[in-house]
Amino acid sequence: MKKNAQNAGIDEVNFNDSAFKVRLKRNLEILSNVLANPTTVLGLIIVILMLAMAIFAPVITEPNTPDPYQMPRDWKAARSAPLTPGHILGTTNRGGDVFYGVVWGARTSLKLSILVVTLTVVLGVIIGSVAGIVGGKVDEILMRIVDVFLSIPELIFALAIAAILGPSFTNIILALVIVFWVKYARIMRAQVIRIKQREYVDAAKIMGASKLQIYLKDILPNSFSPVMVQATLDMGNIVLVGATLSFIGLSEAGIAEWGVLVSEGQAGISAGRWWASTFPGLMVFLWALAFNLVGDGLRDVLDPRTETKR
Amino acid sequence: MSNSKNTILSLRNVKKHFPIKEGVFQNVVGQVHAVDGVSFDIGAGETVGLVGESGCGKTTIGRCVSGLEPLTDGDIFFDLTPEKLVALEDFEKHQSEIKNKYLIDEIQSTSNISKIEGDDFYNYRRNCQMVFQDSFSSLSPRQLVSDIVSRPLKIHKVCADNELIPRTIELLEQVGLGKQHLYRFPHQFSGGQRQRISIARALALDPKLIVLDEPTSALDVSVQAQILNLLHDLQKQRGLSYLFITHNLSVIRHMADKIVVMYLGKVVEAGKTEDIFANPQHPYTKALLAASPDLSEDVMSDMAALDGPIPDPARPPQGCSFRTRCPVSRTECGWEVDDIIRRLEHHETLIDSIKSVHQPDAFNAKLTFETSFSAIELKDAIGTNDIPKQMRKAIKKIEVDGNDVNISFDPVQTVPLVQSDNGSLSRCVLANK
Repeated sequence: MKKNAQNAGIDEVNFNDSAFKVRLKRNLEILSNVLANPTTVLGLIIVILMLAMAIFAPVITEPNTPDPYQMPRDWKAARSAPLTPGHILGTTNRGGDVFYGVVWGARTSLKLSILVVTLTVVLGVIIGSVAGIVGGKVDEILMRIVDVFLSIPELIFALAIAAILGPSFTNIILALVIVFWVKYARIMRAQVIRIKQREYVDAAKIMGASKLQIYLKDILPNSFSPVMVQATLDMGNIVLVGATLSFIGLSEAGIAEWGVLVSEGQAGISAGRWWASTFPGLMVFLWALAFNLVGDGLRDVLDPRTETKR
Repeated sequence: MSNSKNTILSLRNVKKHFPIKEGVFQNVVGQVHAVDGVSFDIGAGETVGLVGESGCGKTTIGRCVSGLEPLTDGDIFFDLTPEKLVALEDFEKHQSEIKNKYLIDEIQSTSNISKIEGDDFYNYRRNCQMVFQDSFSSLSPRQLVSDIVSRPLKIHKVCADNELIPRTIELLEQVGLGKQHLYRFPHQFSGGQRQRISIARALALDPKLIVLDEPTSALDVSVQAQILNLLHDLQKQRGLSYLFITHNLSVIRHMADKIVVMYLGKVVEAGKTEDIFANPQHPYTKALLAASPDLSEDVMSDMAALDGPIPDPARPPQGCSFRTRCPVSRTECGWEVDDIIRRLEHHETLIDSIKSVHQPDAFNAKLTFETSFSAIELKDAIGTNDIPKQMRKAIKKIEVDGNDVNISFDPVQTVPLVQSDNGSLSRCVLANK
């Protein structure tokens, strides 16, 4: 069925087509291939809902003043169960509204994951590209450094760095960047080495393209899809690891962050106050699940083995 | 060769060695002699076919010519007038007495592609393009045909932006495609069509020379013929020169004016196509021709098909490099100690008991065994028919001294390329007589 759709695509191209239209058509084709998988669609729906929640957080709940990322405290309603007026998901021991935490926690998570993924992708792509293109001793040295980073389990490594830097949200971001860039460097290096041996790179050299042009037009676009898949998966993983770090108290107390909320609520679980931990925990689970589903779907479509057939 | 035409490309003793690197510090542990002293000329409008087995260095030559690989040694000259070629040959023969010094200087600074830089080299890029074997790999999967074919025009700023598309369509029409193919991705084409796109891209800058690196070997036979005819027509229309690299002898017979046969990085035979096909001089060429399935000719039926491995190009044989596989090898082919060691590799008990090899040069060695019995066994083994008779005869001295065996051969120079009866050049001791 997939094949038919692609073949139909060829015949539809006619004299009036422009480069822009053809590119758009191909991107839509890729998108329709992604959407052909129901689990990916499920993941995508959850991702969109999460993003909507993060973006419209000030509309959904009144932002806390002066810092909306800080939990509002309602000491009178402390420890109230779900579905009480004003606190539909209940409150924590310290009177924080769980619903507010869930909604604004999405914002915190989005901020965390986008910042960390952007920084790690940029860092990893630069270092991986340098290693792959320059090769030789530079490659050996950079890859041995990467090996050192990879030899330590990522959670423990992030924990150690965050602990050294001291508890704060910024330090969690920093710790995650230090831990996560190595994967991208590895992936990018492998891709660059694979792509730079392609004959179209030789052809570009022969026609006199500059090294920068070859990198930007031939090597980078053709080696980026595995990085994109990994980045999507990491959008979920980073929130998971970040929540873990917050849970063990490496974040600032009192901020609207899912890990912090789970941590605050855990003391009450044995006393029957399940809500303060469960709802933020569920959010972490859904967030990580959704991005993993989307990442898997992207990987199926952007798989390098099917690349030439597309 | 006619003297009125320019020589588009002249390779002079071109060498390309690749270092073998090992370990964390990338130490150089050896050199692969991919191309080892190759010389030939390509005239304007001429097709030179470069043939040989895989691994003989023919693709490396293509990459050197197109400027992808820097040369280890030697020169490649581009677009020499007849006077310049004569001056250059004169200069090479009598290094000391330079007659046309200014002309030589001019050649070196403007035509030697391994020395020119900057704008001159940029100019050379316009004049030498390449078509690759694998059309899947030679076209970027993320670029449209319009981008691929117009890219050289953009890089060299050949025409204004609004002329790009008409020029691209023109190029596509020249290779039998049309404007309906402009906005498509390479994966939407068949192998033959993709190769046409590659050719259109190569033609974009209106080059004088195109390096064709096995352009048809990935295609099926009917499409091969179409592409070959297209290349033929384009050559007639534009006066192109081709360096046609292939292992397919029937293709080369159809296309080439001259043939250069390579073996282990060296030219073993070079000459006009009809001469080489009618009367091959070198045993390797004979074997290649015999190996190609051709029912009409059984002249070479007495030639056995080639067997045995190609020697390691990191340690190419001295003397004649083909002698290890040659069916008509002679005593004077340049046998050396490595040949004995190659034979020993089939003899497990002997190779296991060998303790050390002291080899001052290629023709003398002292092999030390663990027991004197093995040493005697080696001498006996060399005496048997396991060893080619010609090689046995070439051994000057073989002595057993306790656990040691001293072996020496007559040293032999590298066999030179010499003119043979049919006018072609051949590198064989038989042709020297």
